[in-house]
Amino acid sequence: MNTGQTCRRVCSGLAWMAGLEGGDTGHGWTGSGGNSLLLPSGSSQAASFGKCFLDRFPPDSFVRMCQDLRVLNAVRDYHIGIPLTYSQYKQLTIQVLLDRLVLRRLYPLAIQICEYLRLPEVQGVSRILAHWACYKVQQKDVSDEDVARAINQKLGDTPGVSYSDIAARAYGCGRTELAIKLLEYEPRSGEQVPLLLKMKRSKLALSKAIESGDTDLVFTVLLHLKNELNRGDFFMTLRNQPMALSLYRQFCKYQELETLKDLYNQDDNHQELGSFHIRASYAAEERIEGRVAALQTAADAFYKAKNEFAAKATEDQMRLLRLQRRLEDELGGRFLDLSLHDTVTTLILGGHNKRAEQLARDFRIPDKRLWWLKLTALADLEDWEELEKFSKSKKSPIGYLPFVEICMKQHNKYEAKKYTSRVGPEQKVKALLLVGDVAQAADVAIEHRNEAELSLVLSHCTGATDGATADKIQRARAQAQKKMEGLEEEPLETLPTEQW
Amino acid sequence: MASRLFYGSKAIVWDEYLTGPFGLIAQYSLLKEHEVEKMFTLKGSRLPAADVKNIIFFVRPRLELMDIIAENVLSEDRRGPARDFHILFVPRRSLLCEQRLKDLGVLGSFIHREEYSLDLIPFDGDLLSMESEGAFKECYLESDQTSLYHAAKGLMTLQALYGTIPQIFGKGECARQVANMMIRMKREFTGSQNSIFPVFDNLLLLDRNVDLLTPLATQLTYEGLIDEIYGIQNSYVKLPPEKFAPKKQGDGGKDLPTEAKKLQLNSAEELYAEIRDKNFNAVGSVLSKKAKVISAAFEERHNAKTVGEIKQFVSQLPHMQAARGSLANHTSIAELIKDVTTSEDFFDKLTVEQEFMSGIDTDKVNSYVEECIAQKHPLIKVLRLVCLQSVCNSGLKQKVLDYYKREILQTYGYEHILTLHNLEKAGLLKPQLGGRNNYPTIRKTLRLWMDDVNEQNPTDISYVYSGYAPLSVRLAQLLSRPGWRSIEEVLRILPGPHFEERQPLPTGLQKKRQPGENRITLIFFLGGVTFAEIAALRFLSQLEDGGTEYVIATTKLMNGASWIESLMEKPF
Repeated sequence: MNTGQTCRRVCSGLAWMAGLEGGDTGHGWTGSGGNSLLLPSGSSQAASFGKCFLDRFPPDSFVRMCQDLRVLNAVRDYHIGIPLTYSQYKQLTIQVLLDRLVLRRLYPLAIQICEYLRLPEVQGVSRILAHWACYKVQQKDVSDEDVARAINQKLGDTPGVSYSDIAARAYGCGRTELAIKLLEYEPRSGEQVPLLLKMKRSKLALSKAIESGDTDLVFTVLLHLKNELNRGDFFMTLRNQPMALSLYRQFCKYQELETLKDLYNQDDNHQELGSFHIRASYAAEERIEGRVAALQTAADAFYKAKNEFAAKATEDQMRLLRLQRRLEDELGGRFLDLSLHDTVTTLILGGHNKRAEQLARDFRIPDKRLWWLKLTALADLEDWEELEKFSKSKKSPIGYLPFVEICMKQHNKYEAKKYTSRVGPEQKVKALLLVGDVAQAADVAIEHRNEAELSLVLSHCTGATDGATADKIQRARAQAQKKMEGLEEEPLETLPTEQW
Repeated sequence: MASRLFYGSKAIVWDEYLTGPFGLIAQYSLLKEHEVEKMFTLKGSRLPAADVKNIIFFVRPRLELMDIIAENVLSEDRRGPARDFHILFVPRRSLLCEQRLKDLGVLGSFIHREEYSLDLIPFDGDLLSMESEGAFKECYLESDQTSLYHAAKGLMTLQALYGTIPQIFGKGECARQVANMMIRMKREFTGSQNSIFPVFDNLLLLDRNVDLLTPLATQLTYEGLIDEIYGIQNSYVKLPPEKFAPKKQGDGGKDLPTEAKKLQLNSAEELYAEIRDKNFNAVGSVLSKKAKVISAAFEERHNAKTVGEIKQFVSQLPHMQAARGSLANHTSIAELIKDVTTSEDFFDKLTVEQEFMSGIDTDKVNSYVEECIAQKHPLIKVLRLVCLQSVCNSGLKQKVLDYYKREILQTYGYEHILTLHNLEKAGLLKPQLGGRNNYPTIRKTLRLWMDDVNEQNPTDISYVYSGYAPLSVRLAQLLSRPGWRSIEEVLRILPGPHFEERQPLPTGLQKKRQPGENRITLIFFLGGVTFAEIAALRFLSQLEDGGTEYVIATTKLMNGASWIESLMEKPF
């Protein structure tokens, strides 16, 4: 132990501490008592001397004893006046002793002791500083501004000091403004927000919560605000906080649908209002009239939102709903909530071809899709006669490969073959292979001189039956190869081209 | 494990969504050791009877779940002997939910209210996920940043464990927010100086909406295709059982298994680690090579003459048998996938996708898409293609867009108008503004389309989509070399700000890199990541002169289908 060093540390510590007492002079501290407080007593000097003559003496207990004695000396000083014996001190523990010093507002000494004993900051210095700050906020004669600044200066970012605790104390003494100022120094928003709410500074709490990014905190403040403010003010507050607004919308979506509508109305968000009414048309209303009415509201909203497409689509849907209702009445069966496509399909399956045609015209189903639709429906019915008639009604906008495919899907090779001749040249090979006519497929492929088609056919040649065909292809290939070498013709196609 | 907290027998009531992720960190047997006697899923009305002292609710902090819990607790109270109720929030306690429980009059019934801060769940050595299904929708549709907050918290936990990450890069609105939250949270922890030597050199935060294209394309890696076709859930996949039936003679196929075969997929399985990130076309050759090696190893037994040799052979048996089982499984899976990939429709779809991505005919109605609609192919498939076309054309011409939308509504039903609105809001489907198509610029600058792809021995990340190099991964690659300054123009076209933040380290912790030592970048995908992107990043990590290794984190492991599905809305 180097006494000189300790003394210097103590002195500088005391000089620093002088500031802690704020208005106090503090000179009395450093002056008379200061230097002598922690000086080692004569006996410890003697022990220190004696120690040198002992072999392998573990220094720990000696050091600890010196420390204890110094602490005891310090508190026994007449300025402090706590005449503890060593065993009393040990019984009491250092923590309790520190508490007593704090109660007597002997903050500087308490801090010195903590630093001297190297207590962990959270248990030691920070705790005492916090106590000091709590005392400080009770000094009514000092302005909020000054107290806050003084506290921040002293505490800075000391770990383990909770500004919100100090602020809570300030609030407890009725110094709300000071509490708010102190909370500004609190880095943890989770601590700021509840106190701000308690102090009825909800709007400030809201912006703090938003700053933190913690949505749970934002929600908590929002629900608080909702109870505290009238509806108009609440909505206005939300309007200035887009993040809070979108969170509150989420909340309303599950909890208060009507409020959601009001929120959209307030913002003139017609697009969302439209969607809102669409949902309503499915959720709430059973009767068709009610549903149509809800959709009408939706359509109006979409017009206001300048979303022409959605408005038209909604009107179409209203028309369709009414029509489906009529179909149910007249034909029986279920039509409501089928898509337009499925409605037409159902009509064809039920043999109501005329009505199906009419519907397709009314709603302007594109030709291609209508052909697919009819094709699929007629094949499902296995109405081969009608299918053939349909195929001849005019030139198919989707080609004839789909006819072959759909017949094969229903395992009707006989019908499928009827269409192969009408399949366009680009898909002919595929069609022929589908119906199992490998030989003819090979001929077409050879005629096309298309490498991809040739290998496709070759991959379909199985075993003995197609042996001759396979040979034929190989020969054709070899020939083409020769030609290629001679001529360097344009490259052969490798990708299947468009279907029609 | 948290269940250790409470003494005596217990029953756990699970929020169903949590069971999957929790399966990865605690097996049922482990829970049993802690006196967990019953497990239920959270449902309305009353709990099933269980003779236990404690009832623990494991839930996400959601209001609707609180209502169910209150119902459970109230009916349980009426039933008789008092139980101890506890509630564990995953990943975070919520004041809002506790308030709700209080309003419902049951808050006092809970002895413990704790949180289990499971933000990032480890899926593999280099992969972490929050498994938060709705993250993309919440962030980009509803401007709800809850999952971003959790992401930031998760990153703080990672930093507490693996050291402060000195550099943060980011691109996108959400990335900016997460970075801001991290910086703020760091301030909250001042004083507790982190003295851990940093493992990561960089953090790269990427918004999913910076790259909307990649997940829409069909993944062509082995793992990606398994996910596309069968869907990988929490690293498990359920497969049709027929191919896995044990081949026994004389059985006559009497008892074919009917239950789906469930397999766990991760890098702990040697063979899977080798093939998961390969292009599917390169998997077959690996499998047949492995088959030869294994049968050769089994043949070794004929050479074993002395007792010592036999003993050595026998000691290797378990490992060999495991390898053989693993090979059999993956051969079966590969066969299943091959059936799909060789189908004509798969080929046609892929052709169209590749046309779009290489910029062919993106500005007019595509006849294949038309045909898919007319034949009522699954709506998700159609939406994926239409969105892909829109993204590859910086939005569709109004006429084309309206045509597609009308076709979809007429065919699949008007109710999907809500889904279409969602897709438009997320920017996946939109009209082209100002008649300008930026995609070609992006494609050329970032070299997104590579014509010469080597699927067997790849030299570029584009192998994962057989030609298309995922935009997100390209951004990561360019960041590490030569830096983003070279692509400022493209970065300005892509949505959201790009930024760089430094977190100063005390001098003692600053890294002195050995020559040849790789940097480690943690890359966080906000809004989800696909297996193909992960594969591409792993490919970059393994490049000999790459210089950067990647650890991947995300809000959700996803694919185009699950992504679109999360954005769909069904009003009835």
